[in-house]
Amino acid sequence: MIRRYGALIRNAWLVDLQYRASIVLWLLWGVAEPAIALGIWWTIAGDGSVAGYARADFARYFFAVMLINQLTIAWDSWYLDRWIREGDLNYRLARPLHPAHEAVAENIAYKARTASVILVVWLLVAAAWPAVRLSFDPGRWAITAVAVLLAAAMRFFISFTTGLLAFWTTRATAIMELHARVSLFLAGRIAPLALLPPAVAGVAGVLWFRSMLAFPVDLLTGAVQGTDAILQGLGGQIVWLAVWILAYRVAWSRGIRKYGAVGG
Amino acid sequence: MPSIVDADRLSKTFQVKVRDPGLRGALRALLRPRYRDVNAVRNVTFRIDPGEIVAFLGPNGAGKTTTLKMLAGLLYPTSGRVEAAGFVPWTGGPPFKRRIALVLGNRQQLVWDLPPEETFLLNRAIYDIPAGDYRERLAELVTLLELGDVLQKPVRQLSLGERMKCELVASLLHRPPLLFLDEPTLGLDVTAQDAIRRFLIEYRERHGATVLLTSHYMQDVTALASRVLMINRGRLLYDGALEALVARIARTKRIELVLGGGGGDGNRVTAEALAAFGEVKSFHFPNAVLEVRREDAPATSARLLAALPVADLSIEDPPIEEVIRLAFARGVEEDE
Repeated sequence: MIRRYGALIRNAWLVDLQYRASIVLWLLWGVAEPAIALGIWWTIAGDGSVAGYARADFARYFFAVMLINQLTIAWDSWYLDRWIREGDLNYRLARPLHPAHEAVAENIAYKARTASVILVVWLLVAAAWPAVRLSFDPGRWAITAVAVLLAAAMRFFISFTTGLLAFWTTRATAIMELHARVSLFLAGRIAPLALLPPAVAGVAGVLWFRSMLAFPVDLLTGAVQGTDAILQGLGGQIVWLAVWILAYRVAWSRGIRKYGAVGG
Repeated sequence: MPSIVDADRLSKTFQVKVRDPGLRGALRALLRPRYRDVNAVRNVTFRIDPGEIVAFLGPNGAGKTTTLKMLAGLLYPTSGRVEAAGFVPWTGGPPFKRRIALVLGNRQQLVWDLPPEETFLLNRAIYDIPAGDYRERLAELVTLLELGDVLQKPVRQLSLGERMKCELVASLLHRPPLLFLDEPTLGLDVTAQDAIRRFLIEYRERHGATVLLTSHYMQDVTALASRVLMINRGRLLYDGALEALVARIARTKRIELVLGGGGGDGNRVTAEALAAFGEVKSFHFPNAVLEVRREDAPATSARLLAALPVADLSIEDPPIEEVIRLAFARGVEEDE
């Protein structure tokens, strides 16, 4: 399987090299959103703080969002939707490799590429600007790595499963767009969850939104403190990951029976 | 010898949403969706022996591709039973998929932006092909398909024919014993079509592969298939040799003549004179084509040779396209 993943990732990178400009554009978009949010909160915070967040806290938060969002984002629903509607799933189903493996390999390739660039940018900025520096804490970084892995897995299954809705509807990507809009607020992309009204932050915590981004971000910046809070966060991630894996399994086994294998 | 494909009362019914035209139709479909059952394949039963080349014949929407996709494990049948290459296709998993190849004329697995060799290397990894076998098989396929230097060019710069050849290479590197080819010559020029046909014959002779194909080009069928499965509206109308189908459907033969005695106009054979022997299908002196009843062909030929200055004469079946058209128009059974 390692050899297969190696070949899939290699091909993904070779294709990327053909589209260098579009990679830069995607990267800029990934950076622009948290940078704009940071600009707004920087201005609002002024010399004081908002709900305990001073300017330097916002800076660290949005740099962490920038990195962890790139490490966990998944575009699979768009691919799946096209594979199913246009018949590109056909040859993938005829191969002795589940199509999800190709999607996972694409994710690894994409994340390794974009996140490494952002990491380098962060290090360069941190060298000049102490506000975005994180305290040296390898234990916390290791736990964050686990949380990022869980978040990436969950966001993959959310995106893949939503893409599978194309077996039933032509609106699968619209549903994913809606999810992206909601997650803009509930996952902490536009503001730390601590700044949201308590009821809204509560909904984000009960559902999977906090687990998919805000929790690993808060872990990295140190906003989550204490073993209980960390274990609770990781537990929530594991539960929601299990739920989405189950949803994926149901959607795949039912959808594949319904598949019309269009387009030759 | 056990069959390599065994389909027993195979059926597939699709549910299709229906809606009336216009805004009112769209609203009604939204509030109260209506569905219609489309019986794409109905109770189809056949067996295929290892090494056979079998062609599915039928108009668009007849159920050929649906049947092929059920055999390849892409579609779940609504009812019936199938076994292919020793497996039930939709539960066979990777071991089954290693024993088949699926080539779709209008959907390609080649990575568009990379040279075809990158797709071959990917398939080498996916199918766990040892390096030595990979090199040997690639060299054989490249030679047989006369691919030459196209392996290093990006797929988007290849011609349609080159792409289909590369598609075949990608699909055959794991050397499957059972090939499903859906319109493998679709849109290709005559030379490329011919190259693909010659390759398939050679490949099957070398490796004893079983080939099931659908095609709209009758040349594919006549050049490749020893047996045809004729499908229309989801039903299997005929299963057997193409020649036997022609004999069953075509109640006529064509006598093609090259006439002599063209020195002076007075000696020329006229269309009226030919009409006494059979229906004149075409006449451009000195060439003429007559259509006569199948059983009358030998006697009529003898009379023609005796009565007219004939330089050459041959007896042919009607063009295969016409036979197939007749078969679909009239059905096969009534001609038995």
